[in-house]
Amino acid sequence: MRYITVEDLEFHYDNEPVLENIHYHLDSGEFVTLTGENGAAKTTLIKATLGILKPKYGKITISEKSIRGKKLRMAYLPQQIASFNAGFPSTVYEFVKSGRYPRQGWFRRLTKHDEEHIKASLDSVGMWEHRDKRLGSLSGGQKQRAVIARMFASDPDIFILDEPTTGMDSGTKEDFYRLMHHSAKKHGKSVLMITHDPEELKDFADRNIYLVRNQHSPWRCFNVHGQDQEVAHESL
Amino acid sequence: MNLFDWSFLNYEFMQRAFLAVIAMSLFAPILGVFLILRRQSLMSDTLSHVSLAGVAFGVVLGLSPTLSTILIVLVAAVFLEYLRTIYKNFMEIGTAILMSTGLAVSLIIMSRAGGRSGVSLEQYLFGSIVTISQEQVLSLFVIAAVILILTVLFLRPMYILTFDEDTAFVDGLPVRAMSIAFNMVTGVAIALMIPAAGALLVSTIMVLPASIALRIGKSFRTVILIGMAIGFVGMLAGLIVSYYGETPASASITLLFIGIFLLVNAIYKLKK
Repeated sequence: MRYITVEDLEFHYDNEPVLENIHYHLDSGEFVTLTGENGAAKTTLIKATLGILKPKYGKITISEKSIRGKKLRMAYLPQQIASFNAGFPSTVYEFVKSGRYPRQGWFRRLTKHDEEHIKASLDSVGMWEHRDKRLGSLSGGQKQRAVIARMFASDPDIFILDEPTTGMDSGTKEDFYRLMHHSAKKHGKSVLMITHDPEELKDFADRNIYLVRNQHSPWRCFNVHGQDQEVAHESL
Repeated sequence: MNLFDWSFLNYEFMQRAFLAVIAMSLFAPILGVFLILRRQSLMSDTLSHVSLAGVAFGVVLGLSPTLSTILIVLVAAVFLEYLRTIYKNFMEIGTAILMSTGLAVSLIIMSRAGGRSGVSLEQYLFGSIVTISQEQVLSLFVIAAVILILTVLFLRPMYILTFDEDTAFVDGLPVRAMSIAFNMVTGVAIALMIPAAGALLVSTIMVLPASIALRIGKSFRTVILIGMAIGFVGMLAGLIVSYYGETPASASITLLFIGIFLLVNAIYKLKK
C-alpha cells in the first residue's frame, strides 16, 4: 500500500532552489534509505514531506489510513535531537510515555496496555533499567536510545528517521537496523532513514534514494538501485 | 528580627503584598520553565518593556493603564511569534527589536504627556509590591487560576512543544497556535505583574525560580512544583527583608533569588 507519494517537489531557501524536480514514494513494509552528499538537503526533503517546511511547488500525498484500516500515524526522529535537548527536565520513563499521547489522546489516562507498550519500547533499546534517570544525565548513545524508545512507544505506521544511530556503537546500530527491518517486514511498517553510511544498511534496506547535485546548481533527487545510478526520477 | 514574627502582616499593605506573592508564585515559575525551555527567557523582558508602552498609551488616551497594557502586550505577543518564525535561527533578534521599540515608544509618549498624567514611568519601571491595590491583587489571582487550569489541561502537549516543535508538529499538535496562545497568556501575566514587580524586574520572578528548579528537579512536573515553591519562598523572604531592611521590595527579591541560584549551583558543584 502506498503511504507517501512526492511529485515534482521544489523547495527554495530565500528564493534559492535547493531541491528541484523531486519524485519519490514510500510503501508499507518498505525500508528505504535516503543518502546524498553533505548539504544535499536530505533533512529539508524529509521536513518538506512531513509538512514542517512548505515547498514552493509539488504535490505530497500521504495516505490517511494504514494497512490496518486505521488512521495512519507517523513518527519523526529529528537529527541530533537527543544532544540538542540534553538538559530537558524529564525522566526517561516520562519522556518515553509522552510517545503514547498522540495515539491515546492528549487528555486521556494511559491504560495498562499503554504501560506495557512503554516497557516493551524501553526494553527493545535496553533502556528499562535507566527509566528513572534524568535525560540530561545519560550518555549521548543512551539519550539517542531514549528518543528511539519514545518513537517505538508511539507505535507509528511510518518511521521517518534523520541519522538515528548517531552516538551508537556498531553493535547497537546493527540491532537497531535489524529492529527496523523486522518492523517493516513483519509488521508492515514503513521506514525512511537518512544515513551517511548506506553500506552498513545494505543487508537491511530495500532501496536507496540518492540526492545528487546537478551541474546547474539545484539539488536533484535521483533514485539509485544498488550501484546502478539511474539518471531518472523514481518511477511512481 | 524574629523569624516567626509575622507582625508585619498587621498592616493592610503588607497583607496585599503577601497575597500578591502567593498569587505570583502560583504562575510565574510555570511560565518561566516554559520560557527557558523554549529558549525565550528574554521574552519576559521584551514584553515587560512593551508593557511600558501600553502604560504610556493608557495615560495619554485616558484609558486604564492595565487595559491598554494588556491590549498592547497581546499585539506584541503575536508579533513576537511572527518574528520568531521569520528569524528562526536568530530568535533573539525579534526580542531585541521589540524590547527597544517598547521602551522608546513609552519614553517619547510619557515625555510628551509631561507631568499632567500624574503617572510616572518610574513606578512601572521598578514597581512596588507594597503599593498595589486590592483590584491588582485580585487580577493576579485570576491570572494565576487561568494559568494553573491551562497548565493542568495542556501539560502533555506543552511538554512535547517545549521538547521539540518539529516532533510536536508530527505528533499532530497545532504548534503555531499553541505558541501564539502561550505568548499571549505570558503577555497578559506580565502586564498584570508590572505594578508589583516592575518592568525591569518582572523577568526575575519568572525566570530565576524556574532556572533554580531546573537544576534541582528530575521530572517535568517536579521542576514546575519546585519552581513554585522557590518562587514563593524567595518572594516572601525578599518581602520580609525589604520590610525590615527598608529596601526596595523587587530589588530585594531579585537579589535573594540570585543568592539561592548561586547557592544551589555551588552545592551541585561540590556534590560532583
